[in-house]
Amino acid sequence: MKVFFEQYFDFNVMGEHFWEVFDAFLQNLLIWVVAAVLVLSWGLILAFLRQLPGKKFAPVRFLTIAYIDIFRAIPALIVILLISGGVPFLTFLPKDIRIPHWFGKPDPFWYGVAALLLVFGAYMAEVYRAGIEAVPRGQMEAARSLGMSHAQAMRHIVIPQAVTKVPAPMLNEMISLLKETTLVSFIAFGESVLVSREILAERLNSSALILTAFFFLIIILPMARVVDYLIKRNQLKITRGAHIEVG
Amino acid sequence: MSKTRLTALAVFLIALTAMVLAACGGGSSSSSESSGGSETSGGSEESKPLTVGSDIPYPPFEQGKPGSYTGFDVELMEAIGEEIGREPEFIDSSFETIFRDVAQGKFEAVMSAATITEEREKVVSFSYPYYLSEQAIVVQEGSSIKGLADLKGKVVAAQQGTTGLELGKEKAEASELRPYPEGPDAINALKAGTVEAVIIDAPVAVNAVEELGGIEVAEKVPTEETYGIAVAPESTELLEQINEGLSKTLANGKYTKVYEKWFHEAPPKGIFTAVEEAEAE
Amino acid sequence: MADPMLRLRGVNKSFGQLEVLKGVDLDVQRGEVVCILGPSGSGKSTLLRCVNLLEPPEEGEIFLEGQDICRGPGSGTGESSWNLDFVRQRVGMVFQQFNLFPHKNALENVALAPERVLGRSREEARSKGTELLTRVGLADKLSEYPERLSGGQQQRVAIARALAMEPHVMLFDEVTSALDPELVKEVLDTMRELASEGMTMLVVTHEMGFAREVGDQVVFMDGGVIVEQGKPADVLDNPREARTKKFLGLVLEH
Repeated sequence: MKVFFEQYFDFNVMGEHFWEVFDAFLQNLLIWVVAAVLVLSWGLILAFLRQLPGKKFAPVRFLTIAYIDIFRAIPALIVILLISGGVPFLTFLPKDIRIPHWFGKPDPFWYGVAALLLVFGAYMAEVYRAGIEAVPRGQMEAARSLGMSHAQAMRHIVIPQAVTKVPAPMLNEMISLLKETTLVSFIAFGESVLVSREILAERLNSSALILTAFFFLIIILPMARVVDYLIKRNQLKITRGAHIEVG
Repeated sequence: MSKTRLTALAVFLIALTAMVLAACGGGSSSSSESSGGSETSGGSEESKPLTVGSDIPYPPFEQGKPGSYTGFDVELMEAIGEEIGREPEFIDSSFETIFRDVAQGKFEAVMSAATITEEREKVVSFSYPYYLSEQAIVVQEGSSIKGLADLKGKVVAAQQGTTGLELGKEKAEASELRPYPEGPDAINALKAGTVEAVIIDAPVAVNAVEELGGIEVAEKVPTEETYGIAVAPESTELLEQINEGLSKTLANGKYTKVYEKWFHEAPPKGIFTAVEEAEAE
Repeated sequence: MADPMLRLRGVNKSFGQLEVLKGVDLDVQRGEVVCILGPSGSGKSTLLRCVNLLEPPEEGEIFLEGQDICRGPGSGTGESSWNLDFVRQRVGMVFQQFNLFPHKNALENVALAPERVLGRSREEARSKGTELLTRVGLADKLSEYPERLSGGQQQRVAIARALAMEPHVMLFDEVTSALDPELVKEVLDTMRELASEGMTMLVVTHEMGFAREVGDQVVFMDGGVIVEQGKPADVLDNPREARTKKFLGLVLEH
């Protein structure tokens, strides 16, 4: 038991490597922020494509649903490994895209962002969709009966209502996204898990990992509380409202 | 409702049982098994298999699938095992924790192209050296990088926790030094072109060049380093046995045979003298 | 005799395998109030929803003011081939579940469509909306959100909302069925007023009293067809068909 504490809670090791791990954790946050912005937009686009009505848009819907199914099913780690392993070999692409080195960030950073974008875009699309589907069908019917086009009905009636159902699950996905940024350690990008393991190899001590876990905890715990609060507030809204929704 | 629950529980238990049986029945070990079990301080029954931790794959030292591992380390260990009357059982393990693991008894020895270093000697005990190591710089064919000095300002890869990585940190003024989880990952990155050079153990490099093509060894960097077999500090008896076994294989030609098989050249005189010196201490 | 406001001929509607309407013929004259009665599953709601193309019929024709609404400017099948705009801007609908927009207050609910669809200015739409809401007795509830209104008030807002588009025909789909009994009267009164102002109305309802007093025509549907139709007094007091008798017997014995 003593060995356990020495191996994982050695505060000297943590102290000596504190800023090293901290800087690496900032990299996780950077990946997270970049990916999050892209994911929220891409997810919205996917959700929009998925609900385009009518026969004309059937192929679009089909492709979108296929995309979402695929990337909900494949683990993010596999996607990261495939992208970082495979994209450099796609010689029909220009080198600057195959092996991106944008804004001073090396290619594993961008492969990681790309993989997370693909996977979490799919999850986010489903979050938006759930929000839209939570809006009762009668709303769309009433709007259309008043002469609004599908697009107008979506814009003025459905989306504004869907939007209230979205924040809580969206925040949950963002929490997952932050945690999944650690996967980029597998392709040798210097984020916190990789650095902790380097310290482990160097010092033969795992305390840096605990320190990393601690950083994640500090950031995510408040976010999780916000999620809980949002869910609770939504519940109250539903039960308080005098929506006489008789089946 | 309870009927559904019962059915689900039954299915779950059956699946669990099946998995346990499969795990037990399976021949060679996965890293979760530690049949070496309790901390042995050397003097265990000699018929029991000798559990050996190793980071697999790392060709040509260790490679292959569970149950049919092969490689220089594997076969040398088997030869030593013959001498001491214990059959080695290799267990795939992650390199960065491997020394700590053997110190805590997860397995009895480590045979994993492991360089003997002072830092590591704080945690484990090493056998006589069994290999003189060199690092190599691997590049794409036709690269302008000819040696260590040319690595300045380039993107270089190495394996996490290895002395190759250390060498990179100390001597190569790389613009970026990327530590990959496994050696082969670093080589892949070189092939893909995302890194410009890899610093890795010379035999691994040579093996990769032979297997893959399109890459070449730019320079071999001799080091004073040697590989050793690691055991927990308390395992003094086991260490004696291993050292004896190693000496015997050097004397009776088994070492040479294994060496020539995997490195396509005769073992350097240096290894014999190194062992003699170590014996004399 | 002028063309009927609404003419249905041979309207068939199926949902997958289920045939809901099996050949319906109906004429509705301008200013007429037609009350549609029948057991659940008889297709009455579906009929209403065919008229404003929420559910397009499989077969048959629907003429609104002489125009075939299933054949529009677009070609081929699907929404673009219908005369959606024509229909939706002439036919208003009020739903059993009100379907008010919860994120907008009463006045906004009423003014939204005229502003967005008809392109009226905000002031114009709002002043018209205020007028309509006053007409249905809700002048003091203009800025209330639906969740603060009683069922009867919500339904009246829904009626005002539909009226804001200046429809020529109003469809009422069991609009009092979801209301507490004491709130039913205010809605029926509003509908009664509307009828007396000459609005053409198609009303699916269980309110026999309303049908008798306000209806010009009563239609009894069962199993996807019109079983009997005629003047309220005739159908309600002297039904000819057995099915009609049975249904009325069940209902009136309540």
